[in-house]
Order: sequence, then structure tokens, then C-alpha cells
Amino acid sequence: MDSLSLIREFLQGRLGVEPEKIVPGAFLDELGVDSLMVLELMFEFEDRFGVTLAKDLKTPRTIGEMASLMDRLRSEEQS
Amino acid sequence: MNRCRVAITGLGLVSPFGNSLADFFQRLLNGESAVRLLRLDDPPRALAIPFVSCPGFAAETVLGKALAGTMDRFAQLGTAAAFAAWDDAGLGRRPGAENRERWGVTWGTALGGTLAYEKGYRELWQKGRERISPLSVILGMNNAANAHISIQLALGGVSMSYTVACASSSIAIGEAFRRVRSGEAPIMLTGGSDVPQAYGVARAWEALRVLASGDETTSATACRPFSADRSGLVLGEGGAALVLEDWEHATARGARIHGEMLGYGTTCDHAHLVRPEVDGQTRALRATLVDAALNPDDVDYINAHGTATVEGDPVEVDAIRAIFGSGRKKPALSGTKSMHGHLLGAAGAMEAIVTILALREQALPPTAHLDRIDPACAGVDHVTSARCGGSLRTALSNSFAFGGSNAVLAFRTAASG
Repeated sequence: MDSLSLIREFLQGRLGVEPEKIVPGAFLDELGVDSLMVLELMFEFEDRFGVTLAKDLKTPRTIGEMASLMDRLRSEEQS
Repeated sequence: MNRCRVAITGLGLVSPFGNSLADFFQRLLNGESAVRLLRLDDPPRALAIPFVSCPGFAAETVLGKALAGTMDRFAQLGTAAAFAAWDDAGLGRRPGAENRERWGVTWGTALGGTLAYEKGYRELWQKGRERISPLSVILGMNNAANAHISIQLALGGVSMSYTVACASSSIAIGEAFRRVRSGEAPIMLTGGSDVPQAYGVARAWEALRVLASGDETTSATACRPFSADRSGLVLGEGGAALVLEDWEHATARGARIHGEMLGYGTTCDHAHLVRPEVDGQTRALRATLVDAALNPDDVDYINAHGTATVEGDPVEVDAIRAIFGSGRKKPALSGTKSMHGHLLGAAGAMEAIVTILALREQALPPTAHLDRIDPACAGVDHVTSARCGGSLRTALSNSFAFGGSNAVLAFRTAASG
């Protein structure tokens, strides 16, 4: 599963966010994703892909930033 | 000292029967039990106990998916009950022109987010995982319910929970009452919620040998307070909430007043962790009468703590006889845990609601399944089937907890003032 699909699945399942709103340009806080939910999403991401995120990771602000962060970490893990 | 009168303007609960508050009370008048057999098929050994669940409770429907997802079930039940009481009081979820900076919440819970922690333990120790969800912290914290309620209803005053075993929510209500009476808070949302079905919790209660046993057919009658053949208590999950309001504030906004809260007394047996003492309970009853400026003769009804343990019930009856005398026709006494079970930290709030409805509706719910009164529990006026159409004015609700903490609440009909 690609990162954007994982984010969509999570936000739809956990917060009931409509999938068409989950686009790269959307701001997380405007979708109702607060810092707690970002932590939970990161946790699920770590779990799903077997990676460990650095503690000092900069918190993404948009769906796009989050997806590219996830993509980067996954590719680093595989290389 | 200048004191405010305290009106009860909102009542709300998550009914184990799955319907409205009116339906809940009518079923209690009918002597209908909500106790069913609960099966926990957890390793290492399945457990089946009589229990009271809220199977019709759909957290996501009542609270919305996002909010429900950040709560353990105890906070879900609590917030749902709080919303129901708030709506009943005719107050908006979000503030209008009024200032809510001094409005507050006092909540009662014995177990808090135990279910969330238990889930975490399973992940770590049963499933061999190395990590658990970061949300476990906010799901599990004991003050989760009061915090969510304050946030949802924009209440800027005190927000805290009391953990006093089976007296948790009676003490929460009493402390809320004092804040309204003193003028500190014009409105307090109070009550309690608990979910004792965590596997480890249910097993511990079973090991304490105080749980009533039952099967598919006998569970409904498993909890028999004051009965000669009583065999123990029945645990249950639930949430119950009340809105207490400065009387003048309530009348100024045209609120419906269900009844008046008159007094509150709390004591400690300071004797034993689980064996109750007549003296501590008697002092709590007397303290409440003094606080409410009542004479024993004024009290028409007592909703008993009445858990149906062999040891507990006669001690409570002794304490009541010590204050009210024996052989008199009042006060009437009933133990409604026979029908709605023992909700631990939510028990006091649920029974306070039952007591207030009894006064409002002029109808006393019975102790169900009380066919043969234990001689050790005799000498008081046991209500064994519903009594309607009396002239009830004043009532008490008892909560006597493990740890020896006792709390008694006093109420009066709205019209009596």
C-alpha cells in the first residue's frame, strides 16, 4: 500500500474524514487531525512498515508532507 | 453564611435497558432486572458471570467517530450520560451569551480506563509486541471522562474525578453540591461511569468471593439484597450524570427543576478495608441529616447501598435502625442494585437519579427478588413491590465503599421548598 492510501484508510477509519478531502494540499488540522492523532498515525505507520521514526522528527502540516515523509522513510529502510 | 439552594435541573444515563430515562425508571418500578449472563472467553480460562451491560450503547453514534476514538469505554459512557443530562437541562453544548468560566465537573470512577491498560498489557505480554499505542495514555487516565466533558461543554471551572470505590460518584455529587451551595459554581455537571468487565478486574472480584453466581436462566435474579438467600453482588457497566444548579439561576432561565438537593455527609469507618462498620455509616447518615437540616422523621425513602453481600446488608440495616428506629413505618427502603447491578464508581450517580425520580414521580421502586427477608435485615420498611401515589417529600441515597468511605445524599421534591 502506498503512503497516501494508508493515510486515507487511517483518517477515514478513525476520524470519519471523507476520502475526497484527503488530498496532498489539505492541512491536517483542518481535517481534525490534532497532534495526538498524528502520533497515533505515526505509530500505525511504524507498525505497518516496520520502521522506527526519529523522536525529533518535524511534525508534518499537510497530507502531502506526511505522505512524502513516509515515502522517504520507507525508501531509506529498503535501501 | 449565605447559601444557595441547589436545584437538580438535568438527569441523564446510559440505560442498560437501551431506552430513555423514563423507560428505565418504569422498568425499575416493574421490578425488571437488567442482569444477564456475561461470557468472557479470554485466555487462560473463560469466565461467565451475571453482569449488567449496555449492549445498545453505540458510542460512535452518540459521540461521533473522532471523539469516541479518543476515549476508553468508561469515558464514552460518562460523556454520553453527561450529554443526556446537559440536553435534559436545556443547556447548549456550546456556550451562548452566558459565561461558563465558573461552571465545572466533578466525576466519580473507581476503575477509570482499566480496559485501555488491559488492552495494552495484552499487546505486550500475550501478543509479544514491543510497543503500544500512544493514545493509551489519554484513554487510560482516570480523569479522562471529566476532562472530555469539560472540553465538550466548554466548562472553565473545576474539572476533577473522585476515586472512592463504590462511593465515588456519590462523593462527586456531594462535592459538586457544596460548590453550588457555596456560590462558587452556578452550575456543576456531576456523576460517574465505570466498566468493571476488564478481564483482570472481573477475575479479581470473583476471587474475593463476593460475586453472585448465575447461569443463563438464573442470572436475572442473581442479585438479591436483604434476602435470606442472597449470595453476593452483580457488577455492571454504566454512566449516569446530573446537572446541579443554583436555584435562582435555574428559575431565572426557566429551567425544569426535577428536585432539590438538600445535603451531603461523608465519613470513614477507619476500621477495616472491606468489612463495613455500623458506626461509620450511622455517622454519615446523621451528618447528612444535620447538613440538610432534617429530622429523621422527615425522611420518607432511602435508596440503600444494598449490594446483596452476606456481610454488608445487615450492617446497613443496623445503621438505618440506629438513626430511624425500628418498627416504624418510615422511611421506606429499597435496594435497586437488584435490577441495575452494582456500577461501582457510577453506582451512586445512578441511584441518586433513581431517588430523585422516585420523589418526582411519587413512586418507589422495589428491591427485586425479595421474597424472604433475612431476619438480620428485618426491622425496616422494605419495599418489595412498587408503591405509587404516596406523599413523598424527602429521600436519602446511601453509598458505602470498600475502604470504609461512606457517603449519603439528601434530596427533596421540587415543590416542597
